[in-house]
Amino acid sequence: MAEPLRPLVVALLRWTDARARIDPLSGEVETDPRGAGPSEADRCALEHALRIAEAAAGRCVAVTLAPEPAEELLRDALACGADAVLRVDVPSWDSRVPDSGATTARALAHAIRTELGEPSLVLTGDHSADRGTGSTPAFLAAELGCAQALGLVELSYADGELLALRRLDRGRRERLAVPLPAVCSVEPAGLRLRRAALPSTLAARTATIPVVTGSVAAEPVTAHAARPFRPRAKELPPPPEADPRLRLLRLTGAHEHREPPRVVVTDDPAEAADELLEYLRGKGYL
Amino acid sequence: MNQRYGDVSFEDRMSHVDFRVAEQPHIVVDTDVCRSCTTKTCVHACPANLFVPTAEGGILFNYEQCFECGTCYLMCDGGNAISWSYPDGGQGVVFRHG
Amino acid sequence: MRDRAGPASSAVTVAEPERPQFDAIVVGAGPAGSAAALELARAGHSVALLERGPFPGSKNVYGGVVYGRILDELIPGWYDEMPVQRWVTRRQTMLLDGERSMTVDFRSQSWGRAPYNGATTYRAEFDDWLAGHAQKAGAVLVPSTVATRLLRTERGRIVGVRTDRPDGDLTAKVVIACDGVNSFLAKQAGLFPGDQAAHTTLGVKETLALPARTIDERFGVSGHEGVDIEMLGCTQGIPGGGFLYTNSDTLSVGLVLGLQGLAKSGKRPEEVLAELKRHPSIQPLVRGAELVEYSAHLIPEGGYDTMPQLVGDGLLVAGDAAAMCLAAGIWLEGVNFAMGSGMYAGRAASKALSSGDLGALREYRGLLESSFVLADHKKLRKAPELVLSERVQQRYPGLVCDLVELMFTVENPKPKPGVRKLLRASAKRNGVKMRELARDALTGLRSFG
Repeated sequence: MAEPLRPLVVALLRWTDARARIDPLSGEVETDPRGAGPSEADRCALEHALRIAEAAAGRCVAVTLAPEPAEELLRDALACGADAVLRVDVPSWDSRVPDSGATTARALAHAIRTELGEPSLVLTGDHSADRGTGSTPAFLAAELGCAQALGLVELSYADGELLALRRLDRGRRERLAVPLPAVCSVEPAGLRLRRAALPSTLAARTATIPVVTGSVAAEPVTAHAARPFRPRAKELPPPPEADPRLRLLRLTGAHEHREPPRVVVTDDPAEAADELLEYLRGKGYL
Repeated sequence: MNQRYGDVSFEDRMSHVDFRVAEQPHIVVDTDVCRSCTTKTCVHACPANLFVPTAEGGILFNYEQCFECGTCYLMCDGGNAISWSYPDGGQGVVFRHG
Repeated sequence: MRDRAGPASSAVTVAEPERPQFDAIVVGAGPAGSAAALELARAGHSVALLERGPFPGSKNVYGGVVYGRILDELIPGWYDEMPVQRWVTRRQTMLLDGERSMTVDFRSQSWGRAPYNGATTYRAEFDDWLAGHAQKAGAVLVPSTVATRLLRTERGRIVGVRTDRPDGDLTAKVVIACDGVNSFLAKQAGLFPGDQAAHTTLGVKETLALPARTIDERFGVSGHEGVDIEMLGCTQGIPGGGFLYTNSDTLSVGLVLGLQGLAKSGKRPEEVLAELKRHPSIQPLVRGAELVEYSAHLIPEGGYDTMPQLVGDGLLVAGDAAAMCLAAGIWLEGVNFAMGSGMYAGRAASKALSSGDLGALREYRGLLESSFVLADHKKLRKAPELVLSERVQQRYPGLVCDLVELMFTVENPKPKPGVRKLLRASAKRNGVKMRELARDALTGLRSFG
């Protein structure tokens, strides 16, 4: 790790209600703090963090940006073995910060730096269960100025080296050596969060949860209206054939000669790029 | 009678309930015992419809969408064919409007 | 495999712990457990309150109304803070038969004002609120933790519970089992009398969403007022009953079905419920409502005669675990009996802990007998049997509906017959002997009077 002395491993947990109810008429989202908690991906991230912190003889801290009812989630993290927890407070009525990946990242980076110090590794789930776009870890890497590896399915730490596995298209895997410090997001795969022992659970029930205010310097961008893109309808002249049956055939495109789709399979990226360019040129796009 | 608002399908009915499925099943059925059972009360008495009779006379059981009520083991005529327990802490059904 | 609670599980024998971790362990953070933990914590004892769900109330279902008088004693001023859906100001008892129904409808606006009578609520909110009070008083709530086994010394004294967490043994001087209708802990302690299936019923319930204004209009209430309807004769011959009550923007409609009757009938519970929802008296009330939750739970309905022993060596049993549900026809109560029994269990345990004499746990029964909890149960001990009897279930609803129909059907130019003659005719039509009717009336009078 970057610092040999007690490297800091941070697990970011997003507090969401995976069973939120949406009113079909008003579109209002009803959430219940009792049912809310970390997503499965976040729970995986915590388990990774605990294991890596153990392997690196580091400190594992669980951090969440959420209102007060989320303390339950941090108590669970403590019970599972996190060395410390931190709650970055946001008012429960104001969803602007948790809804924006960039502002969340800014608030978290600020809180982590001032309260905990420079992290060696930040782990989080790849997507949150609710409105999260998965952009928070990328923004966070930018804020902290460190490497990022997102959407990982496996993480292993040994001898100061962090190795990761990422899913690619068509069943392929990408093996990554992640330089530290880094921000990594993990998919809910491979492992499950350990079950907390009773003594640590009892201790966590009465522990005090430190809180800092999630101050945001600039107003986050608020979308006032969002509409799907709808291209304008284009009028086409009817086919010239006199026979209605033939006109119909022309419209449906049956019996017409067509070029079959071209599938390019190559392992060489340069070759693939050439193929692609030639294709676009042939179609008159370039 | 107005049938338009008749009943929802069973899958639809269960889809409104929050189940946190544990890794380990908390119900295990000894189907050898079930084969000699003539009533198979669990099949229709279970409010979550977890028990399905098989062609060979056994019982196919599910545990994922269990209400944890206990009807099945209390009603089991085949002696102790159903070993029943609660799911691990924090898992299983979560009622919001109970 | 991990230790699991279950019908076949048994207690673990351990050495007497030198220093128990807690004064008391309360298993189950339902109304009974939270009330017990609250009493103990207030008296300054250390209490662990175990809950197997992720939060209190998450495993719990009930049939309609929380009656608040016991809360006056437990949490003064409760009605200003309790999570209430609607205050019940209208109470109906409905007899259904075929396409007919006969309803006794009572309304009292005073039930909608302090100190109130009863309220509808969601158990996820109510139980969480009550457990919150226990926590504030100092009890340590441990959620997502199943108590799988009792810990017992060789001499048979109960000294704690084993949980399903790693390193999960927890010791205490007293254990209070409020672990619900299946109560594996009371069974492990050998306190249960046996044939549970015979006096247990299955409750199934649908929660249906409707706009608050529509509920107000359909049920003739406004604001925070609500309705509770108890039904008889809607279970297609299965011993049991039905209920329907209003929440702020949902209705809860459900059935209570005797397990053995259900087994014999070969019907599925949700089909019986669907049939009730199609009854011409119920259908207009639930029309167009959207299902938001379906739930099921067992109910110990046997009453006084089927209760387990309430006190063991170092163990008290309260709530549904002690069969504290009162199912006596016109009175259907459970949550208040759970809170009452839990409160007295907490008091008895607290007294025993303070005096250092665990024999004082035996006073629990006395406390219950001198309060409504066992007094009501004792008085109404014959009522569950009467209410679930074949005559009350299958013939009396028809008899009453026949009688009322004959009374109000105008048969001009025939002159009106006398009521006595109509009663005899209706009794005959429903296969009820006048002698049986008189006997049941007497039993009813003796129980309810």
